[in-house]
Amino acid sequence: MDLQAFKQHIVPVQARLFRLAQMFLRNREEAEDATQNVLLKLWTNRQKLDSYQSVEALAVQMTRNECLDRIKSHSRKKMAHDFDMKEVKANQISPYKQVENADNASLIGKLIGELPEQQKLVLHLRDVEEYSFQEIEKVTGLSAANIRVILSRARQRLRENYLKDNDYEPGY
Amino acid sequence: MNQDIDDLLNKYYEGETTLEEEKYLRSFFQKDNIPAYLQSHAAQFRYFADAGKEQPSTAFDFEIPQETIGKKSVKIKALTSWTLRIAAGLALLVTGFASGFIYSYKLEKNHNSENSYISKSEAEPFLKMRKVLAFDQSENTSASDRIQAVSQSYELSGADAEITELLVNVLNFDVNVNVRLAAFQALLRFENEDGVRQALIQSLSIQTDPNLQIRLIEALVRMKEKRAVDQIQRIAKNQEVMDIVRAKAEEGLSFLNQKKNPAS
Repeated sequence: MDLQAFKQHIVPVQARLFRLAQMFLRNREEAEDATQNVLLKLWTNRQKLDSYQSVEALAVQMTRNECLDRIKSHSRKKMAHDFDMKEVKANQISPYKQVENADNASLIGKLIGELPEQQKLVLHLRDVEEYSFQEIEKVTGLSAANIRVILSRARQRLRENYLKDNDYEPGY
Repeated sequence: MNQDIDDLLNKYYEGETTLEEEKYLRSFFQKDNIPAYLQSHAAQFRYFADAGKEQPSTAFDFEIPQETIGKKSVKIKALTSWTLRIAAGLALLVTGFASGFIYSYKLEKNHNSENSYISKSEAEPFLKMRKVLAFDQSENTSASDRIQAVSQSYELSGADAEITELLVNVLNFDVNVNVRLAAFQALLRFENEDGVRQALIQSLSIQTDPNLQIRLIEALVRMKEKRAVDQIQRIAKNQEVMDIVRAKAEEGLSFLNQKKNPAS
């Protein structure tokens, strides 16, 4: 894989990798750092990339591993969850609503972070990155049926936890 | 429409929705006027939609390390095809065997040439012998070394003035009796040589060891060497030599004279 191909295939994915890393690490700087690391690794191994079916799937896997390594390592400092979501449509929503939305967003982020690792990954790939089941298969190596089950569980669990946290009546 | 959303939500939680349907759900929950009973679903869809728009900070852009661009990293070619692998294996085997053969061949050749060198030059053991037996070397060499050197003379086929001279020297002047004995034995091989006989006769007057004296007398008597008579007589009259040597000398004298008399 030469420079041209690398730019074409890898560089566009970096935002994706970053989002994935952010989901795992829940910290902007660390996520950027992890993504950089993954991209550097990909670049240094660019000669071997041709033998992979999907470089993007490989990159996603590498990012996931990198993040899990970082989570595991003791040196990781416990950082505040600075999930600095963009101010969502600031023009139309009142400041009060805005704060509530930001709160909700960081709460969801936290709840996703609490999901088991596999559910986390599948949910993120599907609902945030809009991967097809086929693409998720490539990344995780799981069968489509299996992915469906995991995804369904992740979504239900996320909702349950969210409701529990907000004291909503179950069902609504 | 809300009925649609309800159905979609159910499907969504079962993990059965398609990507388009999920997109529709997300866009639906982006709106402001969401019915109250669906409000609780909004948060996560909004989160997904927003999280999908997240971008790394503008400062973040993967820079390909400049120094590595030009450098073609070394391509590692895997031996992919089976034929290539087998061929490589065979080549390895062949080179292994070939080097083994060449090595052993060379060894053999060396061995042969060494052998031929030895057989070619008889001078070599002689040179070695001379080196060991050189008179001034007697302090540096052991008696057994010298005996060995003397016995090397047996390997030589013909008598040689130099060798006999060397042996005679050893016979007369070596400090060790055993070495002298060995030299004497070696000299007996060349007893037909006139020089050797004269040397033996001469040696008779030099030797002080009774053992050697007896042997010399015996050898000379056996050779019927008349020229030795004077020397033997001297020994017979010498009071300092052992009785048994004198007896031997007299016996030898009578034998030699006996032979001599009838002839004259």
